[in-house]
Amino acid sequence: MRIGLFLKSRIFIRASCFVVRGSWFKITEARCAMHGARKDTEFCVTTIFAIILLTISPSQLLAKEVKSAMYYQRFESEEEFESYESDNEQEIHDPYEKFNRKIYSFNDAFDRYFFEHVAKAYRHGIPQPARKIIRNFLNNLSLPVSAVNSILQGKIDNSLATFSNFIINTTIGLGGMFDIAVQKGIFYKHEDFGQTLGHYGVGSGAYLVVPFLGPSSSRDFGGWLTDRGVDPLGFNLLEIGGKTDLVESNYRIALALMSGIDKRESLLDIVDDVRKDSFDPYATIRSAYLQKRENEIKN
Amino acid sequence: MKLKINMKKILVAFLIAIFSSQAMAQEVSKAKEVDEFVEIIGNKIVKVAGEKATSDAKKREKIIAIIDGVIDANWIARFVLGKNYKTANDEQRQRFTALYRDFMINTYGPKFKNYDGKKFTVNEVKQQGSFYVAKAEFLPRESNVPISVDFRVKEKNGKLLILDFIAEGISLIETQRSEFNSAIAQNGMDKFLDDLAERVKKLKSSGK
Repeated sequence: MRIGLFLKSRIFIRASCFVVRGSWFKITEARCAMHGARKDTEFCVTTIFAIILLTISPSQLLAKEVKSAMYYQRFESEEEFESYESDNEQEIHDPYEKFNRKIYSFNDAFDRYFFEHVAKAYRHGIPQPARKIIRNFLNNLSLPVSAVNSILQGKIDNSLATFSNFIINTTIGLGGMFDIAVQKGIFYKHEDFGQTLGHYGVGSGAYLVVPFLGPSSSRDFGGWLTDRGVDPLGFNLLEIGGKTDLVESNYRIALALMSGIDKRESLLDIVDDVRKDSFDPYATIRSAYLQKRENEIKN
Repeated sequence: MKLKINMKKILVAFLIAIFSSQAMAQEVSKAKEVDEFVEIIGNKIVKVAGEKATSDAKKREKIIAIIDGVIDANWIARFVLGKNYKTANDEQRQRFTALYRDFMINTYGPKFKNYDGKKFTVNEVKQQGSFYVAKAEFLPRESNVPISVDFRVKEKNGKLLILDFIAEGISLIETQRSEFNSAIAQNGMDKFLDDLAERVKKLKSSGK
């Protein structure tokens, strides 16, 4: 009786409607009706979501489940080493290892002969306070996308903190050159679309080494492309600001290069250590990258 | 009859309450012990790294002495060898275990520049199975953003020992295991052990 009533109830009918017709489109329609927002923009977001999920999810399903990188937490005693190891022969999913290693060698050579020197020249040529201002400025520009990803993950507090950082630093911090907000104790965590996907249970998929960019995974690289796609300072697919070239392409390239140099400068010591200490830098970077991403998704 | 059962129940509940509170008290005191243990080591290292009058060679020696006394090098050696432990023969195992200790302390001892900071604090200690995880924060000298560093600690024969060091979510021994396994898979165990021996020799001689 009760089940019959429930089946007839409005909630059930609406819920099943959502499921059948595709909850995303339903939500989009509802939002458009409520806010009179531009339908095509909403549609664009939905399509990007759908494409990303469609391209990434099947590969996730097919891929062997990637075991947690921090799995040794499960040990109870030293005797468990043995039984455990037979279960976890392949803990890292790297089906393209051969190809990845080639790209890695290419990146490594490019770095040793060129990019590392650029980063070192940057470190030695420009004083620390100026570098800090550049870093703050670049970081500030990345905050809006990060805040949107926070919302998508339902982390409202972090999203607000990120937005406040962006607003405070853009205004009082003179266009983001000074990180006033963090000095005042408004801390936030960076979120990107790879993390958003991870938050909703998408595994990292296959490990990838991307030319010039370095370690990534099928999920994170897809996420990175999405972030750059919607970012007004990237390809601006959402046409925020009304046109695709909100910022002239020359500036965009300059910003991308600058953030690359800034990033490399921040990694100078770590990369030096890995090159010096590791018996297999490719494996060290792979393991560290996967652990770092997992940690970022978990918190 | 009914009263009897109730009495029994009450008695059992009472006993459970006593034992669990005792166990909890023990756990709490153990967690506190781990907290102090990690905080003392962390501060010792930060202090040595920040000493201005001490020469680099002396700093290196001091930090090696601190690390050497508090890590369970045998456990870690066993862990980082991973699946290769099973296929290795006794001689290889022993050789690796001996080399690994020297490799660890001589690799991480000289990195005192990385440990130079303003503050080291343990925020929280959690029990995870037979381990304790001390969640700590380290504030480098030239930054306002603290780095999260976790220590995995285990009690062995009444003594606390460090098993792992996890900086910003990246576990030292997990990364090392991945690296060693990959190196062994490519070149074989004996070649890897030779490389390791050579590295240790180089590390030791570079400090003198």
